[in-house]
Amino acid sequence: MTTRMTIALLSLIGILIALYLTLYKVGVVGDLSCSIGSCETVNTSQWATFLGLPVAAWGLGTYIALFTLAMAGTGERYAGSLKISWLLVALSGWSVLFSGWLTYLELFVIHAICIWCVVSAVLMVVIFGLSLADLRGARGHGVAGSRDHGLGSTGPDATGRPRPRDPATP
Amino acid sequence: MVKPPPKSRGPNKLFLVILGIIAVVGVALIAMQAGGGPTPKIVAELPPGDAGKAQPYVYGRPDAPVIVAEFADFECPACAQFATLTEPDVRKRLADAGQVSFRFYDFPLEQHRNSVLASLSAACAADQNKFWEMHDRIFAGQDAWASKPGESDGSANRRASRLFSEYAKQIGLNESAWSTCVEEQRHLERIQANRQLGIQRQVRSTPTFVIGNQMVPGAISYDALKRLVDEALARRDTTARSAATQ
Repeated sequence: MTTRMTIALLSLIGILIALYLTLYKVGVVGDLSCSIGSCETVNTSQWATFLGLPVAAWGLGTYIALFTLAMAGTGERYAGSLKISWLLVALSGWSVLFSGWLTYLELFVIHAICIWCVVSAVLMVVIFGLSLADLRGARGHGVAGSRDHGLGSTGPDATGRPRPRDPATP
Repeated sequence: MVKPPPKSRGPNKLFLVILGIIAVVGVALIAMQAGGGPTPKIVAELPPGDAGKAQPYVYGRPDAPVIVAEFADFECPACAQFATLTEPDVRKRLADAGQVSFRFYDFPLEQHRNSVLASLSAACAADQNKFWEMHDRIFAGQDAWASKPGESDGSANRRASRLFSEYAKQIGLNESAWSTCVEEQRHLERIQANRQLGIQRQVRSTPTFVIGNQMVPGAISYDALKRLVDEALARRDTTARSAATQ
């Protein structure tokens, strides 16, 4: 399994967690399954909303974007694409900072922990680490044999397969 | 002759199967918990009068057949959501119709720095028979006065204080009597007693409702609340019938 496949898989798990918390927030799920911590205290606090939307809904959107990028990056068309790598790093990096802020609020302001939020924060840190590894790989291949700094470099792709050659190249 | 590039292939099938399985299992687990709304817990009914020092604010007939009690925090967003979206219906269609007695108990959460001040402001408005007007104004303006992360306690309190004074003026309170009452924290004991009752009743989050003998956490919908009121009415009728036949 490649780095981007792992990112897609972890993002899918993130989507499911964020979907669960969003459905709770809008009243579709009645009780949160929360064996550790105080999920209801955290999710009914004033910090469970950001710019008019539930924080969980922002998480859902972010995980969907990460999943879409990672899935696109596993296809041959965008394999090794630096743009995809940079977007993954930027989105997951921002999300790590945001998750860190939320964890700070849980620990020092709300004084309650939501286990699902902690799992999501850990997932995001792992995704960020993998995104950095993916970027390093993509840049390494780009230096080895690419004139492309965006889509379609010519080195081996992130899936390990040789890249298709540009038909215009002799 | 140069061969054309192979057609773009997606990720391998095994990987897609794994993703599919995770998605299906995850959605199934979520679906198992969805749809039912909050699960009520059977508890002892609240007494029709005051419970010790705890004194709720009552809307509707005090002797209505069903008591709907809400334990709420003025700074909690879910409480504001219930107060602005659902409560008007509860008052008009259930309390004004004489079916329920709606009771508000303060349950200020420790992490909300302006909650006690909001409760004091509403309690002092109650002295002038304008609790519900102040209650509605405070919840409607929650975004403006709620404390913000990083804001000092003093700054958050001053901003809320200024806004509550404006609300007092808007709803036509005697401002000087109201502000003296708030400054003296005249009703702090009542607020603490209301909260204490919630703690005894194992209220863990806000809002929490006690409808008849069922306790439900969360900002429930009007339909869910009406269903529980109907159940309480039916139970009451059954009990009355069986008492009459004995």
